[in-house]
Amino acid sequence: MKLRVKQRALGWALAAIAFACTMCNQRSVGIARDETVYMSAGAHYADWWLRLATSGVGIDGKTITSTFGGAPGGASNSEHPPLMKTADGLSHWLLADKLGVVDELTAFRVPTALAHAALVVMVYTMTLELWGLAEAVLAVLCLLLLPRALFHAGLAAFDAPIMTMWFATIYAYWRCLDRTASPSGDAAGPGRARGAAGRKWPWQVGVAFGLALATKHNAVLLPVALGAHYSVLAVRHYGWRPLLAAPLGLFAYRGRVVLSLVLLGPLVLVVLWPWLWLDPIGHVADWLSFHFKHVHYNYEYLGENWNAPRFPWHVALVTTLFTVPVVTLVAAALGAGVWIAAGWRRATLDRLPTLLLGLSAAASIGPFFLGSTPIFGAEKHWMPALPTICIAAGVGAVWAARRASQFAIARWHVSEPLARITALGVVSIAIVVAAGTETLASRPYALSWYNAAAGGVPGGADLGMNRQFWGVAARGVLPFIATQPPGPVYSHDASPAWGWYKKLGLLPAGYPDSGNEVAGIERSKLALVIHELHFNRHDYLIWKSYGTVQPAFVLRFDGVPIVSVYERPK
Amino acid sequence: MVVSTALAIEPHRHSAALPSSVRWPSRLRSTLGVLPALLVVGVALWETCATHVDASSVPADEAWDRASQLVRAQFRPGDLIVFAPDWIDPVGRLHLGDLMTIDDAARMDAARYGRIWELSIRGAHAADTAGLPTTSTVDAEGVTVKLFQRTPVTVLADIRALLSGASTDGGPAKLELAEVGFAPHRCIQATPAPGHPIRVTFPSLPLGGSLVGYVGLADVFTRRDIRAPGSLEVDIAHRKVAIVHPGVDDGWVRFEIKTQPGSADVTFIASADAAQRQICFAAEARQ
Repeated sequence: MKLRVKQRALGWALAAIAFACTMCNQRSVGIARDETVYMSAGAHYADWWLRLATSGVGIDGKTITSTFGGAPGGASNSEHPPLMKTADGLSHWLLADKLGVVDELTAFRVPTALAHAALVVMVYTMTLELWGLAEAVLAVLCLLLLPRALFHAGLAAFDAPIMTMWFATIYAYWRCLDRTASPSGDAAGPGRARGAAGRKWPWQVGVAFGLALATKHNAVLLPVALGAHYSVLAVRHYGWRPLLAAPLGLFAYRGRVVLSLVLLGPLVLVVLWPWLWLDPIGHVADWLSFHFKHVHYNYEYLGENWNAPRFPWHVALVTTLFTVPVVTLVAAALGAGVWIAAGWRRATLDRLPTLLLGLSAAASIGPFFLGSTPIFGAEKHWMPALPTICIAAGVGAVWAARRASQFAIARWHVSEPLARITALGVVSIAIVVAAGTETLASRPYALSWYNAAAGGVPGGADLGMNRQFWGVAARGVLPFIATQPPGPVYSHDASPAWGWYKKLGLLPAGYPDSGNEVAGIERSKLALVIHELHFNRHDYLIWKSYGTVQPAFVLRFDGVPIVSVYERPK
Repeated sequence: MVVSTALAIEPHRHSAALPSSVRWPSRLRSTLGVLPALLVVGVALWETCATHVDASSVPADEAWDRASQLVRAQFRPGDLIVFAPDWIDPVGRLHLGDLMTIDDAARMDAARYGRIWELSIRGAHAADTAGLPTTSTVDAEGVTVKLFQRTPVTVLADIRALLSGASTDGGPAKLELAEVGFAPHRCIQATPAPGHPIRVTFPSLPLGGSLVGYVGLADVFTRRDIRAPGSLEVDIAHRKVAIVHPGVDDGWVRFEIKTQPGSADVTFIASADAAQRQICFAAEARQ
């Protein structure tokens, strides 16, 4: 087998491992509040497409509106584009309904896990092409061993998929800039001396951008990264003065790439989102304005509850430092140093991939430094920055290993292959063990997990970092509830998931959801409180109704309370 | 220059013969070269160990059982039990909640308690015990049990207990168990319409040396959606003696008014410029 084929096979093997790990991990993860909305909408979307494909029924404004449209925030979930929901629905139809090979929840979650596996392939391939096999493998391992990303990759939601689609756009753009389509991208040599035609048909970048737009609204930030990178390349190619004299010359640098992004991207979005067929501009405006005016959910950060701007400028920075394994951050810092040093020495590659990766991360995370962008989803909102961190970690770790091997060769006169393999092995194993330990420690309540720099889950609680969101942890108290006398249950933030838990057999019959807020508590025999700072009020509502402050059970993660269950005194 | 060339080819073999000024930078460079890898490996080792240590750093139920036995053995009715840090409160209530009343948990402050049990972990301390002398300290497998004793304040009147005898004007005022600053508080809650204050008057309220009170805005969601502060004015014998403007991020705001012993009509006037300001207040006349 040729080396190139073997290397590709390794990439696919890593992707398969990523898929398997994600699917295994999600089995113990509870159902997120938002997932229930997406699964319901996705089932309807898929049904619409299947009816369209099989009988041509459904292409009328009324059916499209009832399936995909309506006011943002409604049952059709028109505030989020449909790609992943449709994929989830089709997966459910195929894997659960038709083939019956997995349960319904797992079927809905498969597409997100596949997207994560696709991300692994792309990160591996790009890193392999630019730096080498060792860097590529380590970058992927760092990516796989991100506790929060692994968690999100197992949910029928959009945060892991947008990381994939975002990176797909970055990668496709980088490939499409290539004039000769050579793997390294540097066949054209320094831009000033060569032509600027680019690929003849760079459709990939437009399609990838369209898929990103159809996944989540974060994608609208992609042009910031791509535009900045493209401008730098154009300036390098033509020089400042010609571009100042004729700004349209920017377009001429790789005009077809720009056309692909501008035309194909929106086109793919429209094709995939039937709601836009009815009023493309108006409905895009509805979609985006919903997010520009999005309500600020409550979020605990460094001991304060934040639900209104201005937010601290450092939320994204500190949260990232506490939710990525420390060893990955250290390796990424080394890698970033290597990139910066290479840039200063003017030894960067022709298409400036490190600048592109840096801009990708900056565009993804940058808005959260403004103090006005919603912060409630924490790192899930800027997950597209993570591939850059992981690639930098791969580069930094291998660089460190090589420097160490040089030391060993010089000091102990060992053979170069032995020194290199040993140093790389030690560094790689160290990273995998540390990041793997963090990842295992984060299961199954990764939203409550913080890294060793924060002091783990208890350290995160001491620091007043957000305990959790989406009500996922409620799954952990179901075994306790099943031991209690049957009766209505105030399920709190798990209310949307309650029916699912019954359907999946995780909750026996006889424990119906008692309803919301005070009326629900008054009807209940058991009551849950999922611990977040702003949910303290639910404890007090229950005290008032039950006449006691004593819970019957407290679910803890590494000793930190995440769900309390109260039992109405007899 | 010749030396440099030799270094480049065989950096260490000939290093012993080199002048120290050349040898040291070379060795230093060589040694520094290994530091990045050592850093990565060192951090990895620390992180691996720290993750395990962190995960088991919070005392388990056995420790809390032991601590609760210690408290139960000496607990007296009227004692207050507090937990630190705040986030361990549900576990504390799981083990000792049967000894705690809702009014204890939703207290105005801890000044009226003569004995306070503090159960803490990880070196934390409760705000209610700050500055108090410790009577006893026992470590129960990671849960530190401390008993604080002091002379409690003498409460001559608690307006929450006297609400049924008060007159209200401008709107209703009712006794509530409310969330203020993410903590529970039993308080009198009034929600004045903008420009229409609610006045709650306690006739002939027994007064001592001070009137100590607290005020805050209840309900996290209205605090989020409406950012304007509320206002609470205190009049004693028809004379304004205090005004407090609790904001959305201020929590449970303390105020203290020096008073002449005796009795007087005391009026609390809740007002707001914005709608849905759930103004929550409590006060005690103290000796």
